[in-house]
Amino acid sequence: MYPAPFEYHRPATLDETIALLVQHGDEAKLLAGGHSLIPAMKLRLAVPRFIVDIGRVADLSYIRERGDGFAIGAMTTHYAVESSRMLRERCPLLPETAAHIGDVQVRNRGTIGGSLAHADPASDWPAAILALDAELEIAGPKGRRTVRAEAFFVDLLQTALASDEVLCEIRVPASSRSVAYEKTEQKASGFALAGVAVVVGNLGEVRVGITGVGPKAYRANAVESALRGQAAPTAEAIARAARHAANGVDALGDIHATPEFRVHLAEINTQRALTRAFNAR
Amino acid sequence: MKISASAAVVAPRERLFEALNNGDVLQRCIPGCEELTAEGSDTYRVRLKLGVAGLTGQYAGKVTYQHLQPPESFTLAFEGKGKTGFVRGTAAVRIADDQGTARVDCDADVQVGGAIAAVGSRLMAAVARKLTQDFFRCVAREIGADPDAASAADAAGQGPLDRG
Repeated sequence: MYPAPFEYHRPATLDETIALLVQHGDEAKLLAGGHSLIPAMKLRLAVPRFIVDIGRVADLSYIRERGDGFAIGAMTTHYAVESSRMLRERCPLLPETAAHIGDVQVRNRGTIGGSLAHADPASDWPAAILALDAELEIAGPKGRRTVRAEAFFVDLLQTALASDEVLCEIRVPASSRSVAYEKTEQKASGFALAGVAVVVGNLGEVRVGITGVGPKAYRANAVESALRGQAAPTAEAIARAARHAANGVDALGDIHATPEFRVHLAEINTQRALTRAFNAR
Repeated sequence: MKISASAAVVAPRERLFEALNNGDVLQRCIPGCEELTAEGSDTYRVRLKLGVAGLTGQYAGKVTYQHLQPPESFTLAFEGKGKTGFVRGTAAVRIADDQGTARVDCDADVQVGGAIAAVGSRLMAAVARKLTQDFFRCVAREIGADPDAASAADAAGQGPLDRG
């Protein structure tokens, strides 16, 4: 399938990018790695009139130390995150999650920022970003703003980004090795039926991010509070807490998994991820 | 593809039935409705910009109300065509009264053809469900019921092939 005709722009700077978005509003789409947008355009599920390719915008692809954590440029590929020695040592959840995304081709072209901005309900990054309590830096016509991961995911395919804004940077704290990402994937596509990311802090505090289950990825607050104050929970305590993995979530159902099955997978993967993260302490 | 949706609206079912058959309400509440014109007493022509976020297509089509049984049930027959393919099908809508709360159950059988059907969309069921939820929340607001009390659930879509 060919995409519908569109006008192609390739700005060199962020300012030019934002000016194009301001000019064309929601008729424009940003092209990052193109591994969600191009297939959607070929199916004509997306028919943008203007494509703004940010592949040549300077300085959007990097992994840097920043304070006691890391700043990752939005155009950094999944593979660059997966293979970063610095992240493997000091923020291992990100490389672990990256290794679960799609296949080699997707990881070499797809970008962390593009995936987050698309907000596919079954994509992997949101789980890790939520569990790390990341901050997302957004640039727009009025300057820059920072959004916490929890406020970034709004609804199915919808984020806090306005149509004239660009996600520039993802900031995460450094972590110990007490992290885990456990996922059950749809075999053909690699997308998550339920993916659970867990971060256990130095004091035993837990953050859990879950993707694939509901219309948007979410923090499993009920699981976190069930484990509050337990620096070394027993296997039974973990199993009990994991049963709250999909509390209050309106689970999706499709040909691959019923809502009940997705909830079940969320609970199982939460139990596995918690067990592995706590065991790594 | 079968899509079923349920919603509960705190209002007498007569009012809900009326709202669901009122062209003005439909125009305001059908997600992405750009134009709705009555054609005869039970048919509307619609132009929609349908979708979620960046995944949006334009469709033109026709909706016909059949088997009207106020205030209990009716059937919708719909067909639409857009660049991404065509959609046609029927939806059986039933409204039950549960102590002042109207409960709507909608079972749709949708045939999809063209590009959408050729590959199917992993997201189609999720998108259909979200649009249904938006529609019922809006209808609840229109008849003055608490939109938060309106809930929709359970769109089990069965699409053709899935290539993610």
